[in-house]
Amino acid sequence: MYPKWLWPVFAVPGVVWLILLFLVPFYAVIGVAFGGVDPIFLNAVPNWNPLSWNYDVLLTTLAGFLPGNQYWGIFLRTVVYVALALTGSLLFGYPVAYYISRHARRTKMLLIALIVLPFWVSYMMRMLAWVNLFSPSGFVNKFLLWTNLVQTPPDWLGGNHASVILGLIYGYIPYLILPLLAALDRIDRSVLEAARDLGASPASAFFHVTLPLSKPGILGASVIIALPMFGDYYTPTIVSGSPRTTMIGNQIDIFFHGGPQPSVGASLTMILSAFLAVLMAYYMITIAKAQKEVAG
Amino acid sequence: MTAVTERRRIAAPSTAQRIRNWILNPWGEPRGLVVITWIYVAISIVPVVVAIMFSFNAGRSVTAWQGFSLTRWYLDDPRSSVIGDPRLQHALLQSLKLAGLTMLIATPLGVMLALGLARWRGRLASASNFIMLFPLVTPELVMGVSLFLVFVNLFTFIPLGTTAQVMGHVTFSLSYVVVIVRGRLFSIGRQYEEAAADLGATPWETLRLVVLPLLLPAIFSSLMMVFAISIDDFVISAWLSCGSSCDTVPIRVYSSTRGAPLPSINALATVMVAMTLTAIGIAWVVHRYMTRGERRTGKQGGMTQAMGAFDL
Amino acid sequence: MKDRDSKIQTIMTGYRRGFLSRREALRALGAVGLAAGAAPLLDFAALADEAGKQAGPGGIPLSRPDKPVTLPLNGDPIKSGLEPEKGPFHIFNYQDYIDQVSVIDTFSKKYGVEVVLTTFDSMDQAITRLASGTVEVDSTNITPDRLAQGVAGKLLQPLNHSYIPNLEKNIFKSLQNPFYDQGSQYSVPYNLYSTGIGWRTDKVKTDIGSLANPWSVFWDESSKEYSGYTGILDDARESLGMAMQYRGLTDMNTEDAAVLDKALADLKATVPISNPKINITEYQTLADGSCWIHQSWSGDMLGAIISYWPEGQDKSILKYWWPGKGKGVTQNDCWALLAKSKKPVLGHLWLNHICDAEVAYNNTTTYTGYQPAQKSFNADELVKAGILPEQLKNIILTEEDVGAGSLQYCALTPKGQGMWQDAYAKFNSGS
Repeated sequence: MYPKWLWPVFAVPGVVWLILLFLVPFYAVIGVAFGGVDPIFLNAVPNWNPLSWNYDVLLTTLAGFLPGNQYWGIFLRTVVYVALALTGSLLFGYPVAYYISRHARRTKMLLIALIVLPFWVSYMMRMLAWVNLFSPSGFVNKFLLWTNLVQTPPDWLGGNHASVILGLIYGYIPYLILPLLAALDRIDRSVLEAARDLGASPASAFFHVTLPLSKPGILGASVIIALPMFGDYYTPTIVSGSPRTTMIGNQIDIFFHGGPQPSVGASLTMILSAFLAVLMAYYMITIAKAQKEVAG
Repeated sequence: MTAVTERRRIAAPSTAQRIRNWILNPWGEPRGLVVITWIYVAISIVPVVVAIMFSFNAGRSVTAWQGFSLTRWYLDDPRSSVIGDPRLQHALLQSLKLAGLTMLIATPLGVMLALGLARWRGRLASASNFIMLFPLVTPELVMGVSLFLVFVNLFTFIPLGTTAQVMGHVTFSLSYVVVIVRGRLFSIGRQYEEAAADLGATPWETLRLVVLPLLLPAIFSSLMMVFAISIDDFVISAWLSCGSSCDTVPIRVYSSTRGAPLPSINALATVMVAMTLTAIGIAWVVHRYMTRGERRTGKQGGMTQAMGAFDL
Repeated sequence: MKDRDSKIQTIMTGYRRGFLSRREALRALGAVGLAAGAAPLLDFAALADEAGKQAGPGGIPLSRPDKPVTLPLNGDPIKSGLEPEKGPFHIFNYQDYIDQVSVIDTFSKKYGVEVVLTTFDSMDQAITRLASGTVEVDSTNITPDRLAQGVAGKLLQPLNHSYIPNLEKNIFKSLQNPFYDQGSQYSVPYNLYSTGIGWRTDKVKTDIGSLANPWSVFWDESSKEYSGYTGILDDARESLGMAMQYRGLTDMNTEDAAVLDKALADLKATVPISNPKINITEYQTLADGSCWIHQSWSGDMLGAIISYWPEGQDKSILKYWWPGKGKGVTQNDCWALLAKSKKPVLGHLWLNHICDAEVAYNNTTTYTGYQPAQKSFNADELVKAGILPEQLKNIILTEEDVGAGSLQYCALTPKGQGMWQDAYAKFNSGS
């Protein structure tokens, strides 16, 4: 019914756009990592020719990730922060999503609205709000002093690991709850009813039916927030600003904002991407599968 | 165990058991979950409400309430209000400019790409689809760094600044448009187009008179969605910024948190939140209006479902 | 092969001595079969070192307060007595570092031109953008350690002093002929400042300035009570340099790996004790009390008082200390004209405007807080005028505080820059 060439022609502008502004830029990262610097201005001179790539900087940088070396500590810290923030988000977010999808009746629409709301409140606004509350003279400390739980106001924003992890949870949990809710909503209620009819207790039905069925949702939602968390450099800066709590993204930031070593920054970016490739691949396969299902 | 003791136990449960039963509430909603959910709602919303409240503080503090002033930090303060401080005013305009332009470029580009990818078959099509999915999963930092390097080293004819920022925003929002529009395409199926063709419509007429009107709700949702994600973006805007004259609201908010922010920053952030929520609100209302009468395939809150299925 | 190497050697020498421009050198290297992409990998600086001196960009020696350097001339300055061009006139500066009303608007009015200000976030960013041509401006703020880059890269144009009488009339004698640009061939000085410690006496009991070694406040166990309320400047040179000064070192431009390692170890040691935040917003945080002790630039103290001091807060609680000439660092920045500028006469007049005593005074006292390199600028008058609190008189530097015998962060070799950056990145990584 349509001419054969029509659909490729429709796709071309977008595909060209993505090639020029997504694939080529990534090639630029590689070019800079394997290139040199201008002898006078010391800014990056990317090497576009794979035949003359210089792998030294990448290899040295990679060696920095070995235990005890330059990036080992900060990388480990990044992984631990992300792992803990993810666990925290799941422990808090799963019950919420579960409750809304399973039990909430009259309040369901209201709850969904209340949960969608923070999703659309800018990340920076939420961080600003968080920092206001936890500042030395903020409401949290005022409350703690008022209740006499503490005598001296705790310094929440002075380089605490816990503050950064809480900040990450606070920042990313909305992005976890929504997909989780969608996944839980997709579980067929009749399966659950069957389990109950066959004599499963609510707990056993949850652990043997709901939880396993929601596993893909949990994994997908976890990947959704883990990926940006690994590239986060602003949250630790906002809620702490101390070298104690920096993440790998902060190192990338340093090497690109001046100095004669943009190739180190580019190498760090490549290494981070490679590390995240597994997660990215997993998620892309999930999306692709979902698309196929929808397309039938 | 005899029936008698059994009955007595039920008649007089221990305190611990009573608490446990109250929380689990086996005959109704489990109260533990109710409590967690409402705590979550409170924690996620109260700080933002407090921050918005302080944008109406009469004094300079963002932590101590010094009386109410509706407009000091929005309009009145000659040096530091959103209108009085040229940097804040400029950030707001820059954010609006980026979001507006991104919306206008990414949406048509994405709609065409969605149509193309949904129906184009073959190896090239699969490859294109693969490329389209990539921006959805790439951490923003990686995307920011790579766009920064490409504009500085290769596309040097496009200096860092508004143009580069818009191009960056279009790049990361394009895939969202594709996902929204393609979802709609699948859900409307092809029967309308086939019917139009049977009735003698040319391909062009079918596209214009059948497909386009059917896609309108998705196109509208895309516009608003792109506006909202663009206006909230920090990382890409920051990496492609040309300095303070290209700063957007999120960049301003970020840099102010490193110093000693005044309530005017809260006011600025409030304006941004209001704009995002308005965009999303309009999208939702219009989407519902446009798709009224259609069989609802999703569960409650079509938007939630849609967002949950693909967002981020 | 041997032949090619010697050709490369010749090209490099030509490049280093300034006979060949960077572009020409790269093209010539390409002609002898070296891929243009690979050319920059050649260690230009290492070759220069073989020549027996520490050369900077384009073979220009690295300047030091006691090793003045005359920059090579890129052509001739403009003729005297020309008429100024029409606007608009474009200037390039740090954000929030020049007053619109007292500096920019007065220039606009005086010469009837529109002035357009473009800003940058860091000197690195500024140089990159000027070098790549992504900004086209007539005049730029530039730090002394970048002048040689600007000259070697043929970005800057030499000056004709007949347009800039204010330089001789108003500016510190030592900065009329500065070590980094002998004869002020390319630059006029703008502001100057020292690096020290700013603190609030309402929160900090110790009188930091009277300690035997005031820097030790970041390291001393007794500072634990200020933990979390201290700060260090977010700057590789300043932070590591502070650790060196803490140990009594004065070579602020060292490229000695052992010294840098020690400075890094010392800097890391502050974290468990005083738990400093890393930022450059001390002019805000000291003013609002969210920070009590911060490594500071002197100009930011006055900046805090002028622009960020909460109404009604006692101005005598902010104090400042710096080690003094020869032990602590003083620095200045400059204005220069771009070689590509089509408005060189207007540019010269702009430089003269910057050096005007009244313009400079207003710029400092109503906006930046950073003192100009003006002879007439003195602490007592500022105190009398009620602008400067009495106890902050020591933020104002005098003519004797700069020039020969002073310490300054100067340009390093690329290798040296890499070493400082690596050390700083390690500090920032917190492990």
